[in-house]
Amino acid sequence: MNQNNPQFNVGSTGRTNSRLESVVSISIIAILLAIAATLFIRQADTDISRFGITPANLQPSQKPVPEAETSPFIQVPAGFDKLSEPEVYNAENLYEKINGKAPLYTEAGFSKLYCQRFVNKSDANLWMEVFLYDMGNLRNAFSVYSMQRRPDAKTLSAFVQMYGYGTSNGLYFVYGRYYIEMIGSAESDQLVMAMLETAANIQKNPMVAGDLKIEELDLFQSENLVPDSAKLYLKNAFGFEGLSDVFTAQYKIGRQPITVFFSKCPNVQDAEAMAESYRKFLTENDATVKQTTSEFLKNKIFDFYGATEMVFTTGQFVVGVHEAENQDAAEKAAMILAVKLSNSNKIKQ
Amino acid sequence: MSEQNNKNIGRREFFTRTAKAAISIGAAGVAARLFYDAKGPQRGGKAEKLVTLPDFSVPQEAGKTISVVKGSDRIKSVNKAIELLGGIKRFVKAGETVVIKPNVAFATPAMLGATTNPELVAEVVRLCYKEAGAKEVFVIDNPINDPASCFMLSGIEKAATAAGAKVIMPTPSLFANTTVKDATLIKDWPVLFGPLEKADKLIGIAPVKHHHRSGASMTMKNWYGLLGGRRNTFHQDINGIIAELAVMVKPTLVILDGTMVMMTNGPTGGSISDLKRADTMIASCDMVAADSCGCELLGKKVSDLPYLTKAQDYGIGTTDWQSLNPATATLS
Repeated sequence: MNQNNPQFNVGSTGRTNSRLESVVSISIIAILLAIAATLFIRQADTDISRFGITPANLQPSQKPVPEAETSPFIQVPAGFDKLSEPEVYNAENLYEKINGKAPLYTEAGFSKLYCQRFVNKSDANLWMEVFLYDMGNLRNAFSVYSMQRRPDAKTLSAFVQMYGYGTSNGLYFVYGRYYIEMIGSAESDQLVMAMLETAANIQKNPMVAGDLKIEELDLFQSENLVPDSAKLYLKNAFGFEGLSDVFTAQYKIGRQPITVFFSKCPNVQDAEAMAESYRKFLTENDATVKQTTSEFLKNKIFDFYGATEMVFTTGQFVVGVHEAENQDAAEKAAMILAVKLSNSNKIKQ
Repeated sequence: MSEQNNKNIGRREFFTRTAKAAISIGAAGVAARLFYDAKGPQRGGKAEKLVTLPDFSVPQEAGKTISVVKGSDRIKSVNKAIELLGGIKRFVKAGETVVIKPNVAFATPAMLGATTNPELVAEVVRLCYKEAGAKEVFVIDNPINDPASCFMLSGIEKAATAAGAKVIMPTPSLFANTTVKDATLIKDWPVLFGPLEKADKLIGIAPVKHHHRSGASMTMKNWYGLLGGRRNTFHQDINGIIAELAVMVKPTLVILDGTMVMMTNGPTGGSISDLKRADTMIASCDMVAADSCGCELLGKKVSDLPYLTKAQDYGIGTTDWQSLNPATATLS
């Protein structure tokens, strides 16, 4: 029948042509989808600089912070009013608040900063700003706290169970995973009272609670220990990338202040590898081996631009002395710490 | 039309439809080619135009390039320091427009030393107006965090305004992009250009501060406050950016206030205990020399601050500030 039709018969074999049409249709749709996908991918990868929008042109955010994002821990102290609205910063824009000090925090696990200013109701010259840095965990918070601790500052009775101190115009302390600063515009008892009240409110808040003690710090305990001198370098201690999680403290040997340090490694082999890499770093940077009467410390003491450096291991611990002026005092300090570390065997990771 | 007719078309009809389809596809292709712009949209407005900061420097005079004055009173010290360089009239002529760039980076009280002392700013404004006969004095900075709060809480706005200066807030329209010659960092980057465009002279006034990243913040680092955009990216090469800033800005005079020095926890500080009295005021036409002298107040050497040597290598000034025969004085 259809063979006899003089017309060019496209649709006479209905089933075959329908399949052909389906194949063609699906192919076209597939091509269109491929084009759409390509456009989508290309669009996501657009070089915005071609449109005059470079990262340089992107202005820092100055948007008001939604109330829900502000800290529930910072409350207006009695006798004070809000001087500014609450502000919240993350790792991306922390520099907008503290500029060149931002890397100190962002390199130590910083998550968020909540801050707000309060002014005394009866004296506008008396105002303070509260900074609450969420550092993710206690060790990170202690690290940034310890790096900035004012050496001559007083430890206040309010901070007996915590790491904290006060100066004539500020309070600084660690609480759980938070590092908190309160900075006053003047040396004023009214401001100090307001700061203590704010600190107490923060401590009362169950949402802030967490570990308050770093057990490794007990390993420094000695009659030689200079109180409140402990620091924690999370990484790049003494300018060397290979030294991480390093605790330091000052020991006083006679009149000589000596910086001792240790880092606990997962096992003995890792500790030896870390110590060896630091020794290599020193010698590659022109340090020379110093003579010693101690067999144990042989080839482990260095002259580094006039200062004494020392590094060795005891069990899982890398132990040493940094930038000591006196080698004898340095050796004594190192041995005091080494004995304490070798006696310890129940430290939490 | 019946279903049968729909399915059965003639040869002519088939070729007609095919031709129409081909023409449609061809027309779409031609249109797409005509509309296609291989270069993409071009930049418009100010962002496209690169600017260069004017050269505000004055001719050198032997023995009058740097002065160092010891004294606890900032006002007396800065007057003496400028006098030792030949007086304010050497730097500012009658009828000129002067821009003063203090460090207003933070919304902190003046006593913390994180910002330029407001009384010092006011005194330099006064000198420009009363002693030199300046036509206008503007005070500028680009603190990223809420400039209004920074100018207000630092006390600089109040002091400068009381002395007759106009404080200019860094609005977006005042920025233009610049590229520093041979720079690797300041390329097509926004700077606070508006107030500088028509100024005759530029004076930088900075406190001596410890800086967590660069080691020290003094007169060269102070120009960081002219940058716009997400300038924190430059912290990855802090020495490079400070040296390039020194190339970008050619000031008339820099004043480095070391009366109280922030010894630790810079650049923000936060505690009075971060400060140490050094009772030193430095004025200079050579900012590399000024900062090289100033770093000693922080207990640092030139070699501790690599940007100083970099700037010297760029030909901006000398780190050997003693070789300039500094004019000195000690005030009672």
